[in-house]
Amino acid sequence: MIQINKLTKIYKLTKKQMLEQKTKKDIKRAVDNLSLVARPGEIYGLLGPNGAGKTTALRCIATLLKPTEGSISVNGYDTIRDSDDVRREIGFLTNEIKLDPQFSPKYMFNFFGKLHKVDEETIEERREKLFSYFEIKDFEDKKIDELSTGMKQKASLAVSLVHDPKVIIFDEPTTGLDIVTARSVTDYLRLLKEDGKTVLISTHIMTEAEKLCDKIGIIINGSMVSEGSLGEILRKTNTKDLEDAFFELYKIHNKEEE
Amino acid sequence: MDAVKHIIKKELTRVFSDKKMVISLFILPGVLIMVLYSVMGNLIANLEKDIESHIPTVYIQNAPEDFDDIIDSINYIGEIRYLNSKDSTDIIKDGILKGEIDLLVVFDEGFAKTIRNYSEAGDAIPEIRTFYNPSEEYSLSARGNFKAMVLETYHQYLLTERFGNTEQLQVFHTDRNPEAGIIMDEDKASGKALSMLLPFLINIMLFQGAASLGMDAITGEKERGTIASMLLSPIKRSEIVFGKMVSLAILTSLSAVIYTIAVIIGIQNLAGGEMGQLANISFAPIEIIQLFVLLILLVYFYVSIVVLVATFARSQKEAGTYVTPLYILVMLGSIMTMFSSGGDKSTTLYAIPVYNGAVAIQNILVGELTMTQFGITIGSLAVLASLITACITRAFNNEKVMFNA
Repeated sequence: MIQINKLTKIYKLTKKQMLEQKTKKDIKRAVDNLSLVARPGEIYGLLGPNGAGKTTALRCIATLLKPTEGSISVNGYDTIRDSDDVRREIGFLTNEIKLDPQFSPKYMFNFFGKLHKVDEETIEERREKLFSYFEIKDFEDKKIDELSTGMKQKASLAVSLVHDPKVIIFDEPTTGLDIVTARSVTDYLRLLKEDGKTVLISTHIMTEAEKLCDKIGIIINGSMVSEGSLGEILRKTNTKDLEDAFFELYKIHNKEEE
Repeated sequence: MDAVKHIIKKELTRVFSDKKMVISLFILPGVLIMVLYSVMGNLIANLEKDIESHIPTVYIQNAPEDFDDIIDSINYIGEIRYLNSKDSTDIIKDGILKGEIDLLVVFDEGFAKTIRNYSEAGDAIPEIRTFYNPSEEYSLSARGNFKAMVLETYHQYLLTERFGNTEQLQVFHTDRNPEAGIIMDEDKASGKALSMLLPFLINIMLFQGAASLGMDAITGEKERGTIASMLLSPIKRSEIVFGKMVSLAILTSLSAVIYTIAVIIGIQNLAGGEMGQLANISFAPIEIIQLFVLLILLVYFYVSIVVLVATFARSQKEAGTYVTPLYILVMLGSIMTMFSSGGDKSTTLYAIPVYNGAVAIQNILVGELTMTQFGITIGSLAVLASLITACITRAFNNEKVMFNA
């Protein structure tokens, strides 16, 4: 289970960053007082436009960033106090974190398996299963550098699951994938959910969220503006689909910010 | 510690499974260094051969009558042209300046007559003047040879003519057999020649190796986003730092060994095998241990500096700009030992990193490193490197440093 309690993340901006972002403020509130709970056997979708703070929030859960205020716990472990334990519990995937291009998917899978203290036999077993499912076997010995974007994404996905994590955090897992591969990823997320895992994904693809997520949190300018099941969000916004609901919320909350 | 082992294995595999990397990091620089010095050695040998085989053009003005016989009697090889006292030497001097003529020898007018007329102190002594161009190798060599072979023989001939027995002029000899008079410790002498060069080379090679590998292993991984995947593993940051540093230390030591061997082989070629003294050098067991400990700590120290810089740099380009001034500092610290003999130095100097490493290696080579000096050197290197390692581990925990957040 993931519990985020009043998470705020503030970045200090350098003068160069202030110029780039056309702001006079020397701080940026990337996530503002965000709270959510993602439970086992549930897929939680964090929905929001680019720069809304989704990736920052996920990075805080993954212990890569420290909250400025608030706290996060993963299966009872605090991300600051017990960061090693949190990392043992989670499988994290994001576009900006990559596998060493000089190695093959097979080498990377084995390497991270060992870092997670998984025994060789289990590594072998899981590799067989995941590489078959994501059709990686044909290129498992090729250098990652020589693979296409889709192949790389599939390899990263498999590697992130090497230790059979209880909590899965995927940042835009289908971005850049063709429709067939994207489908295999979303299908696998459903399998993980059925397996009782806690799944938290971020996305800006509305149809994906509609079909996949049991619970949706819409985040705009770092704040949670609406949360609930698809039906609950549609009712609250009096709209027919998630895209309309999102734009309704965006109109209200982006204006407020301006 | 298992994680450290896996990281070291991965880092070494990364380098050794990549043929291009092995060639560019280890083989090519080693071969290039050897080729460079060998080519230099061959060029110098060719130059010497060329000078030796060159037949000098020598102009002699006012040569005494018997001078020709002297030249013939010693089989002096040269193109000799004689000038009268009325001939102008301006064109000849111009030729020497341009490198077309090698030597002009001018005897005073009435040279033989002045010598014959000499009877008591204060009488005129004639002079032979040589005109040559020291910036032209042919001219310089022609003058040296002519003076040593022809003029010296002529000098002896005239002395014999004047005194009959020249032994009266000898009075005493100094070192008839110079070799027999040399009393020295072969090891120390060999060590002294090497102690000029080796500390400098070892320091430079170690730093260079650490720099080229460290920037890619740390900053390169940061740039490529691959280090973050390791930061997501349930292992301590210190284990990642330690794994990276140990693998870098292994690779750095290996490249330093290859470069140093290449330089020594190259220099031997350069010196035409005169550096054979290397084989003469021998160490006491304690000196071998001292050298080993010292080299390990130097590698650890340089790797820690490079990793620190590489951790804080946002790009490899930025890391490069930080490493260059450090490289110059290391060169400065090492070069200072080239122009000072080992021996007595204030013990506080052994606390200055870089310099202390070079000076301690120098003292081991000449067998003069005391235990106090050794202790201060390794102590200061170990303390500083440990402090730097602690900083690196802190930096690995810092999101601003690792993710530019």
